[in-house]
Amino acid sequence: MANRPRRRRDGLSRRYTRTAYLMLLPAILFFAVFTYLPIGNLLTTSAHSGPQADVFAGLDNYSRAVSDPAVRHSFVITVIFALVTTVGAIVLGLALAMLLDKPLRGRVVFRALLLVPYLTSVAIVGLLWRNILDPGLGILNRLLTALDLPPQQWLITHPLETIIGVMLWQHVGYAMVLFLAGLQGIPDVYYEAATVDGAGPARRFRHVTLPLLMPTTLFVSIISVITGLQAFGQAYIITDGGPANASDLYVFHVFNVAFEARDFGYSSALSFLLVVVILAFTVVQLRYGRRNEVQH
Amino acid sequence: MLNRMSTAGRVLAYVTLLGASAITVLPLLYMVSLALQTEAESLSGDPVLIPETPMWGNFLELFERAPFANFIVNSLVVAGAITVSHLLFDPLVGYVFAKFRFPFRNTLFLLVIATMAIPFFVKMIPLYVMMSNLGWLDTYQGLITPFLMDAFGIFLMRQFIQPVPDELIDAARIDGVGEFGIYWRIVLPQVKPALAVLGVFTFVFQWNEFLWPLVATSTEEMRTIPVGLTLFSQEYFTIWNLTAAGAVLLFLPTALLFLASQRFFVRGIAITGMK
Repeated sequence: MANRPRRRRDGLSRRYTRTAYLMLLPAILFFAVFTYLPIGNLLTTSAHSGPQADVFAGLDNYSRAVSDPAVRHSFVITVIFALVTTVGAIVLGLALAMLLDKPLRGRVVFRALLLVPYLTSVAIVGLLWRNILDPGLGILNRLLTALDLPPQQWLITHPLETIIGVMLWQHVGYAMVLFLAGLQGIPDVYYEAATVDGAGPARRFRHVTLPLLMPTTLFVSIISVITGLQAFGQAYIITDGGPANASDLYVFHVFNVAFEARDFGYSSALSFLLVVVILAFTVVQLRYGRRNEVQH
Repeated sequence: MLNRMSTAGRVLAYVTLLGASAITVLPLLYMVSLALQTEAESLSGDPVLIPETPMWGNFLELFERAPFANFIVNSLVVAGAITVSHLLFDPLVGYVFAKFRFPFRNTLFLLVIATMAIPFFVKMIPLYVMMSNLGWLDTYQGLITPFLMDAFGIFLMRQFIQPVPDELIDAARIDGVGEFGIYWRIVLPQVKPALAVLGVFTFVFQWNEFLWPLVATSTEEMRTIPVGLTLFSQEYFTIWNLTAAGAVLLFLPTALLFLASQRFFVRGIAITGMK
């Protein structure tokens, strides 16, 4: 690679190498200390048990995790949470983006209004919706009563569905902005050609929009699954994982094992298992997405 | 694309967009209303939409009930320091990977990029243990150091620096400009818009960050706004008007930035998606 320049200006190229390493030094230190070292420590800790995590336990924590019903339950509802929020964000985000892609007056304003929740902290989202959904003093139940409908206790009867809804409220705008950029990147000629060939709106959507949007859909879907699998604040702030663990999202569960039960060995193993799951989801999506990608 | 839309289609589009915008914005407006209600109004079983008289004093009372001034300072220091660090290091590292050839470049780049696949919570427990050993729990350095750089920011900056012409850099070298001077005076000015995106997004995300400040602080005085506010509401779970006032304060900087340039945010998100 560097053969030719090396022969001709040996000293210079060596000087640039030194400069490059000098400029990279802070980054090398940072990623070593704050990413790779913690991951090594996580793996080590996960092979230990006891209150100080100093008793070697081999793979015990992992086998315990696999057969722990609370962990299994938490894992299943978290996967449901991530998949439903991802499908929801893609469907709603794409639908809204397609509306905003049309020459409508005020589309810039709509785009802004739909994006606002994405910019709020999960603390705001959590506290606000806990108030709105409150069975006693929440505004939503008053709306229902005003419409002569029976009041609801969503956080008790449908906790998981409710936090999925709250998650979508916050994240659909993000998917919409990405889809809008994707739609604007599709050249008009494809639609014109399809129309000349007699394709109606449904077939243009199916055979032009969807395939050409595949890279955007793939990106939204990967980011959204990762975000969903890592959701924490929704359970911590809105439902406290309840009632009866019905909304015990995985990271919330790990958080409690680590900082309430103070079982660092077990919680480290649980953390690592979720990384493996996230990587597996990402690889599967990339494979599937690449296979369906088209060039233009 | 096809520009003609039937009247019915147009009406349907407007109704859908109005409905969707109402769902996103009305809860936030209700939050502002709550923030201005009396305690009695905010607790009434018959919720109030518009408070009788707006209680601007709620914003002051917040500071008496909780060390809210600390929360604000902490959030500013932490989000501010992390943003400055990103602006210093992400483009520098991106520049090296974009413009230099050196042994192990690809390996090192891969090692940096691979950290994008590692979600933060994985590091939560080992970082907590590390900070605890260093005595850095409940300190600014403990809140700041885990976020000093970011692989995504580095990648983004590399993508933007790559198109800067090599001739520009070589010419500066011939003129005797030092290597750091080349980066600072020649390369950085070429990527100002990308730097703005990096800075604003880093600040907003760190300002909103919840999990790490929750884990890494133990005294009330060291909490950032999102954590301080959440724990405040758990402690005084009935004082909804003050909680809402805190939420309004937490959202204010982001809302102002967004109002100043919503196009900037939209473009920034699109850039991160396109790469």
